[in-house]
Amino acid sequence: MNPALRKPGDTFSIRRGPITTTQLVMYAGASGDFNRIHYDHPFAVEKGLGGVLAHGMLTMAFAASCAVEAFGQASRISRIDARFTSPVRVGDVVEVTATVERGAPDDPIEATLTAEVDGRVVLRGVVEVTSP
Amino acid sequence: MSDRADIDRALIGTSAAPFAVEVEKGHIRRFAEAIGENAQIYFDEAFARSLGYGGIVAPPTFPTTFRPSSKPAWIRGLDEGRFLAGEQGFRYWRPILAGDRLECALRLTDVLEKRSSKGSMELMIQDLVITSPAGDMVCVNRRVVIYRGESVKLAQEHAQEASS
Repeated sequence: MNPALRKPGDTFSIRRGPITTTQLVMYAGASGDFNRIHYDHPFAVEKGLGGVLAHGMLTMAFAASCAVEAFGQASRISRIDARFTSPVRVGDVVEVTATVERGAPDDPIEATLTAEVDGRVVLRGVVEVTSP
Repeated sequence: MSDRADIDRALIGTSAAPFAVEVEKGHIRRFAEAIGENAQIYFDEAFARSLGYGGIVAPPTFPTTFRPSSKPAWIRGLDEGRFLAGEQGFRYWRPILAGDRLECALRLTDVLEKRSSKGSMELMIQDLVITSPAGDMVCVNRRVVIYRGESVKLAQEHAQEASS
């Protein structure tokens, strides 16, 4: 467990991106989510989306990465939940912040996860982490 | 053009045919690379074991890759261009590791309709229950997908609106 992140109010942030079309294609292939709204621009426009959207689960993967970095690779994630609040697009830089809500010695530790693009919240979540 | 609910409510409570997955370290590597991860527990078995894991670890959102070989009945015939990510949750009993053989059951738990001034949308709540071959719980992945009404354009705050 990362000793720097144990008390309520402690925060830790990571940045991912800028997101590229190549990354969305890689994510489509690795995840099996081949919905064309994630890589076919004319299709996404035709569907009223204004262009390609990043997979919500890619943003959630960034949120999970933040939790793993924040609490250390030895800690076990027992629960992670997220709600997608706003679209993420190619070129966006996503910043994820973990904020401890319930700290040690409580086990699991609970933290909120917030992902933002230019200050706009794109994901809100919560993670529970247990000691190994 | 109609803007009514298109998801067959009669399918609520039904499950897709169960399917099995084998978790492969090459797949974990490709997934980790796609999400921009370099944490060594996803790539290096000796390192993962040094932290007490039984092998290479799958990232927390990896069960999103567990998909039945054919689309579940409640997805068939729907317009893929109208799906949006709503919510996802993962509850773990233990980490998923390379080499795991897992049983998966995907259920349509509920369908909720949300209305706004822009039209209607539906929330499709699906639960993927992942167990070991012995029947022990490994993970439950709740997948909430938004299905936009045909006339609903993407709102900047789509999910907040959908869940309000």
